[in-house]
Amino acid sequence: MGRQPKSEADKVHDRIGVLRADRGVSRKELAEAVGVHPQTIGYVERGEYSPSLALALRIARYFDLPVEAVFSLDPLPSLSQELLRRTS
Amino acid sequence: MSISPEPTYLARTFEDERYGWTRHPRVRRRAVVAEAALLAALIAATLAASATETGWSTWFFGTWTVGMLALIPMHSLLNLGIRGILDRDARSLDEHQRRLGERSHSAMGWPSVALTFAAFTGAVAVVALTGHIVLALCLGFLLWFTSGLLTYWHLAWTSPEESADTDL
Repeated sequence: MGRQPKSEADKVHDRIGVLRADRGVSRKELAEAVGVHPQTIGYVERGEYSPSLALALRIARYFDLPVEAVFSLDPLPSLSQELLRRTS
Repeated sequence: MSISPEPTYLARTFEDERYGWTRHPRVRRRAVVAEAALLAALIAATLAASATETGWSTWFFGTWTVGMLALIPMHSLLNLGIRGILDRDARSLDEHQRRLGERSHSAMGWPSVALTFAAFTGAVAVVALTGHIVLALCLGFLLWFTSGLLTYWHLAWTSPEESADTDL
């Protein structure tokens, strides 16, 4: 089971919000697909809740991405920065 | 873990968006304060009645009845505010909701034990000092009842603020 992060260092960073916007998926739709309450997706997105490994894997599978592309222990760079880095 | 594909009637009621207003932190905290104040008043009334010669009286009976009846809508509101996390079938809760419930249970473990002990010793003290057995039972019940409500109060007070729109 997941937990509430106790400090900034304890926080799990994610790209769920960006991926949802990119794919046009609402919190409700994602929540139904991965089997949690829609509010839980909001808490994960805001970094107020660190998901369990099973939930993190289900979310990554939903977006058809490796889990490390969606979640990270370090702050994730923005996708535009990432693209710029790869093209330059 | 997943939400049950067929949530119970109780779970559907707690998830009903008509009661979304009860889930605002301000409403939840006011419900906690109101419930705690009501129980404190009932405990004070019980102690006041036990200090009299007659003990069980009409005014005390009236106060007790009104107080207990007022608790029903008050606790319903508080429970709607926390989506009934502590009363619903675990299968209708997701991992985050279960985590919140467990956190409140463990945070209020020792205070609940202390209040249960106070319920027993308080009732014994009232009988020993005044001889009013019914009032001693009332005091014991109120303190024991309060010990059970601590977990609800903790959860209602500490639950994080919810997103306004999940369709975004």
